[in-house]
Order: sequence, then structure tokens, then C-alpha cells
Amino acid sequence: MPKVVLHGVRSTEPMLLAVQIGNAARSAFLNYSHRRCDVGGRRFFSVTCSLFGRGPPSRKEKKTLDIPGLERVTYADRMHFVPGLAKPIFPDWQRDWHDPHHYRGPNNEEMKLHKENPCYVFNQRTKILEGVRQALWLTKSKLIQGLPEHILSLADDPANQIEDQDERVQQAIRHSRFWDTTTIRPKRDRFCPVLLRDLLHLCGTLQVKHTSLSKRILAENYRVAALWNREKDVFQVRGLNGMLLNSMTSLPAVAQSGEVLATENHTLETFYPISPTIDLQCTYVYDQKNDTGFRDGYPYPHTHTLFFTETEDSAAKFKPEQLRAKMIMFAFGNALARAKSLHGEHPQVLEHPVVVQSIATDGRLFQFIVLQLNTTDLGPDTGVKNLVWMDQDQLLYDYAKCRPLIKKKIVTVPAGLSGYQPETFKKFLALHLHGAV
Amino acid sequence: MQNPGHKLSNTIHRERGWRRHQRASRLVCCAVKLCACETVTSESVKGVMALSALARALGSLSLSASSNVAQRVRPAPLLSQTVKQATELCRYSSLPCSRLLLTVRKTSFCFGTQLQPWRGILTSAALCQNSTRWKQRTKYTIRPIGKKKTGGRDHTGKIRTHGIGGGHKQRYRMVDFQRLHFEAGKESEFFEEKVIEVRYDPCRSADIALVAGGSRKRWIIATENMQVGDVIKTSRTIGRMAVSANEGDSYPLGALPIGSLFNNLEIYPGKGAQYVRAAGTCGVLLRKVNGTAIVQLPSKRQIQVLETCMATVGRVSNVDHNKRIIGKAGRNRWLGIRPSSGLWQRKGGWAGRKIKPIPPMKSYVNLPSAAAAAGTTS
Repeated sequence: MPKVVLHGVRSTEPMLLAVQIGNAARSAFLNYSHRRCDVGGRRFFSVTCSLFGRGPPSRKEKKTLDIPGLERVTYADRMHFVPGLAKPIFPDWQRDWHDPHHYRGPNNEEMKLHKENPCYVFNQRTKILEGVRQALWLTKSKLIQGLPEHILSLADDPANQIEDQDERVQQAIRHSRFWDTTTIRPKRDRFCPVLLRDLLHLCGTLQVKHTSLSKRILAENYRVAALWNREKDVFQVRGLNGMLLNSMTSLPAVAQSGEVLATENHTLETFYPISPTIDLQCTYVYDQKNDTGFRDGYPYPHTHTLFFTETEDSAAKFKPEQLRAKMIMFAFGNALARAKSLHGEHPQVLEHPVVVQSIATDGRLFQFIVLQLNTTDLGPDTGVKNLVWMDQDQLLYDYAKCRPLIKKKIVTVPAGLSGYQPETFKKFLALHLHGAV
Repeated sequence: MQNPGHKLSNTIHRERGWRRHQRASRLVCCAVKLCACETVTSESVKGVMALSALARALGSLSLSASSNVAQRVRPAPLLSQTVKQATELCRYSSLPCSRLLLTVRKTSFCFGTQLQPWRGILTSAALCQNSTRWKQRTKYTIRPIGKKKTGGRDHTGKIRTHGIGGGHKQRYRMVDFQRLHFEAGKESEFFEEKVIEVRYDPCRSADIALVAGGSRKRWIIATENMQVGDVIKTSRTIGRMAVSANEGDSYPLGALPIGSLFNNLEIYPGKGAQYVRAAGTCGVLLRKVNGTAIVQLPSKRQIQVLETCMATVGRVSNVDHNKRIIGKAGRNRWLGIRPSSGLWQRKGGWAGRKIKPIPPMKSYVNLPSAAAAAGTTS
């Protein structure tokens, strides 16, 4: 038993006083708890340091076995502890008024939107383990490496090029990487969206030649919702995703019907022993809705391109594989929501496939994806598949150094922009012009 | 006429802390008001009632263990005033209220002395350095958890184990030692998992591997040749024939061939691996005897466990751990090992080389039958 120093009347008081302590006060004094753990871990200057700190951890309560026929005899009626009788269990106390600071929400089972079957939700922070393979299985898609030829050829046409294209792109890079700060170098979550906006502005200067480029609008902070069944499981794509370029006219189908029908022979890649639902948020309380994020009657209803930028938030840092998977999932989500709003909820093969493009960048690396939604019949593994064209890890430039990199007194990488690659911007421009030219 | 204060003071005794003080002070004020009450005819009766109420009230204003008492300043002037009023009344009444007065005086005296704060004043918040809340998490996660260093101190704050302190900060990764851990609702005879990552764990000598199977990921102790992309199997069936086990797979002891090397041994089925977890260690399966298995641990001690206990095949990773050279005192400090006492101390019976026989086989099996008893003799 640990030693306890009793607080009490100090010896400096006269002895007479100690004798004169009234009954009431003495009983009160004796009620003082002697347990160190009740001291509460606080410091007392008048006592030794061994009293400071908590007591030993309390023992866990033993589980009581409840036999339905036999009721335990408790000392609840006696109103005091009786050795040999069981400890009574009283009903939980409920506050009879609503206190917002002490409010416990309902359990999952009591919620209005509780369902029997779970739903696996993909949101903007989901990083799925198997990356693109898992996204392809979830969206019932076939992957084709490289962007379609006819889209790339749009940028090669000299009529579609911006005057001093390379120079202006390099100026845009310099603006975002060097000039947009009072410190030495701007942070990634500053230069990444600035670069993207500058490149979009450059692409927008072609409105003079192609007026249909002006029939587009950028939208940020919109929430998409798409729901589909895939082999007995329910999947959803939900939430904020990125910046969206909407247009008045829909994108034309990239692959023709022959190629679409040929996807029936393709088998989706599985990755046993990992299940396709890994890393997705499993929830039993969900709302079954399909929503493009915009109301009916919006003048720019057709999704054109989805842009993703990198942020400084450590939870939102994506590896390239996970980022591509996120691009596929959200492009698919937007396409599916649009298809369901046009053609209804019934799963069917679409006569006019919905095409959505997606571009992701971290300020230097670009990922391009074109997704064509051919079917909303996603339940079985067989049948027509959707198509995904992917161009990954395209460098716009090698180095954008604010200070030169010097190794052993030799300048290995000079300050400024170096290693600019014009092909990447051509692809960017091509995807931007697709649908307008 | 029942004194209204009587009932109130009885209830006050059951209450605690500040509320008790509040009600008691209210009672005192009631007692004073009673003195001034005009409906009671006799002065003496009034006086007696007032005094008894006051005494009870002052008795209710007892000192409780809570330190709040020291902080809250009682309206001392009011109390002394009420005591004065009560004593005055008593003086004017004819009844022998000397005893009551004495009681009042006594309580007022003890109040007078114990009204001063006799416990220390809190000047800082409660210290929570030694709280163990970081390890009370029950839900499994693969995310590393911040770990508090104890410095060899126990819950009283004194050193219980010397030579521990400092060292690099470490985060605890919850390792699942129960290899046969099915996913919720997916029980089966066996299941496979894929190794995603093998990495260093600061909390143990062995490396740990992140494996994924089904819809969940977990950390396990890595075996010697575990690589990223390997598929490992965990099975609970014991067939008639022993299984040709691959390294990293986990089977019950009854399914393994005799002489196989294993690690992460359970001694009670379902409890989780408790033995053979350190870097480079392995146990040997010696023999299987009707429902039990006799194994040799790395310390050469033999134990008998049920054959349904799970064990992983192979040696634990980081095999060259015992061959490492610390090299300098600083590296020991990085590991959190403080120097031992420099005082020369006479070594006792514990020091020196010991050559002794291996202790007898320990059995973790309760076998009542005589046939098993015959089998336990080694």
C-alpha cells in the first residue's frame, strides 16, 4: 500500500482546537478520500513528489453472465453495498432536454438511410491499392495506352496552333514557378493551379479562330454523385473532385461502334487475393442518387474535361498510380451521372457514348485520360466494356530551378527553366480543342 | 413543526462538492431568515430553531476532498455575520441554549480555522505525460500510432527498470500476431494474402510486412525471404498427410511435417503468436503426439502445445541482427539504452558462466488421460 500523507490540521494550531473539532466537521474530515488515484494527478507544493501522478490503472470490470431464467439478486433495494449480492445495473441516465454539447447521434441502424447491403464509396481522398487495374475493374473498362490518333492530330494542324506557342508556354511556366511570389520560390499548391490557369488561358486565345471554344465554362467545387452495381456490390463515386470544363455541346464518340462491340471479347483483369473493394469506404448508410452536380437547365450541361491539381495537404498527396485511378473513377462518375440523366436508370448499352476527358498535373508531370462510357450495364463482367485511353507521366519540362544546382563547384543544372518539352502542351491543346474543331 | 432545515441538511450530507456548499450556505441564510421571521410567536422557540438549523447547516458545510474547495472563496463575512446574529438571538432567549451555542461556536471555530486554504494552490494544469491513452486504442489500423516513452518509469513516477531513456522517436505499428484472423463474415478453411511492403519496425528487431487480402490490410512479422508481391497462405485444416509448406505460409502445428522450422508460435490456440518473434529466430517441430505437438524453442527449451496452434513456416526476417556491431556509445543512446551505473558492485551468485541442464518440458496442454502422461515424458 503506498504511503499517504494525510492533510489535516497543522501542528502550529493550538491543541485545544483539535479537541474542539465538532462532530460534523470530524465526520466531514473522515469522509476525505485517502486514495491517491482520486487526487487527480495534480501537484501539491506541500507534499512530497511521490503523491504526484495517478494511481495504478483501474481494473477492468468483469463481465456478468445473464441467464434469462435466473435473475441476479442485487443490493439495489437495500440502497447500500451488501457483500454477496450482485452489483445492480441501473438504466442509463438521459438528459430531459437537448444539450447540443452532449449530443450523441443515432446509431447506424437507426438512421433513415440505413440499408441492408453495404455501399463502397470512392471519394476524393481515396487511394486504392491496385491503382489503375482496380479502377478499370470497377468501371468495367478496357485500357488502351496512348491517346487516340485523331485527337493528337488536332494539335499538329498548323491552323490550330497558337502563335509563338512554345515561347508563350515557357513564359507561363516561368510565371507560375518563378515570378508569382515575394519569397524565393512559390509552394506547389500555389504554382500548380496558376500554371493550369495560364495554360487554359493560352488555349482560350484560340477562340478567335474557333468560336465554339467560347461556348465553354469552368466550374469549381461542385459535387458529383454516381451509383452503380457491379457483381452484387453497390459502388458510388461521390464528392468534390476537381475543376470541370463544361461545354454546350457534347464530345463526339472517340471509338466507333465496331471497336466498341469488339470490347465484348476482352476479359477484365482481376487481382486475387485482393478484393476490388479494398480501400473503398464501406458504408451502410447511404443515399442512392445520381447527380451531375448541376441543376436541369444549366446552359453548359456536357462534361468536357476534368482537371486535377496537386495540393500541399499531406493527406491529399497522391502517387502517380493512385492519381490516375482517381482520374478514371471521377471521369467515369461524371459520365455515368450524365448518361443516367439522359437515358434513365435502366442499365443499357448506349447508342451515343458519353466521352469525358481528364488531365492531372503536379506542376511538372501531366497525366491525360480519355474515357468513353459505352454501357451502363455494369452488373455482369461480360458484355460491352467502356474504353479508357491513357497517356501517363508526360513531363512538361525537366527543371525549373530558382537557384542553380551546384555539385562540386560545377553548375549541373542552371537556374531558370530547362528541358522544355513541347509535345506535352500539344497534347494538352489537342484535348482542349477536341469537340470544338 | 418539523424544522424545514432538518430535511434539507440530511440531503446535503449525501451531496458533494460545490453543490453541497451552495445548498448549505442557502440553509444558513434560511436559518438567519428564520431568526427574523415574525410568524413564530415565542422568541425562545425561534431562537432554538434558528440555532439548531444553523448548527446543522454549518455541519453540512464540511470539507470534501475536492481541491475546488480551496479555490472557491466562501463568503466568510456573511457566515460570521450569521453566527453573530444567531448568538445574539440566543442571548436574548431564555432557554438554556448554551449547548447549542457551544456547538455553533465549535463549528464556527473549526470553520474559522479550516476556512483558510490548507491545501496547495494549483498553479499548473494536470500533468498527462504518463497517460497510457495512446495504447488504449481497440480498433485495428495500419496507420502508425504515436508512442509515449516511459523512461523506465512506472505509474508512480519512479524508475522501475534502469537504463531506459531517450532514443529516437518511435511510432507503433499495430502488428496482427493472430495469423488466422479472418475478415468479418468471411470465415473459410484457408485464405491467401499478398505482400505489399516489407519494412523496418522501430519497436522490434524483426521486419514487418504489410499484407493485403480481401478488403483489408494488416501488418505481420515478415519471414526471412519475404518479398513484395509474394502470396502467402493461412490455413486451419489438419490433414492426414503433412503439408509441404512454403516459407511465409501459416498452418497449425499438426499440419506441418516433423523437423520443419517455424516462427510466430501460438501456445494457446487463437490467442495469437507469443513465442519465436525475434529477428532470425526459429523453432523446430520435434514430434507430434496424439493431439499435441512438441516443439523446441530457440532457447533449446521444449514445450508441448496443442496441434491446433498456428505457426508460420520459416525463420523470422532480419537474420543478421545478432551480428550487428553497435560501434559507439551514441548508437546505444539512439536505441534508448542509457548507460549502466558506473559504481563498482561486488557480483553475486547471478554472475559468471552457468552450465546447467535444460529445464524439463513445459506442457501448455491439460491432458487428463494416462496415455498423454506417458507421451509427455521426454
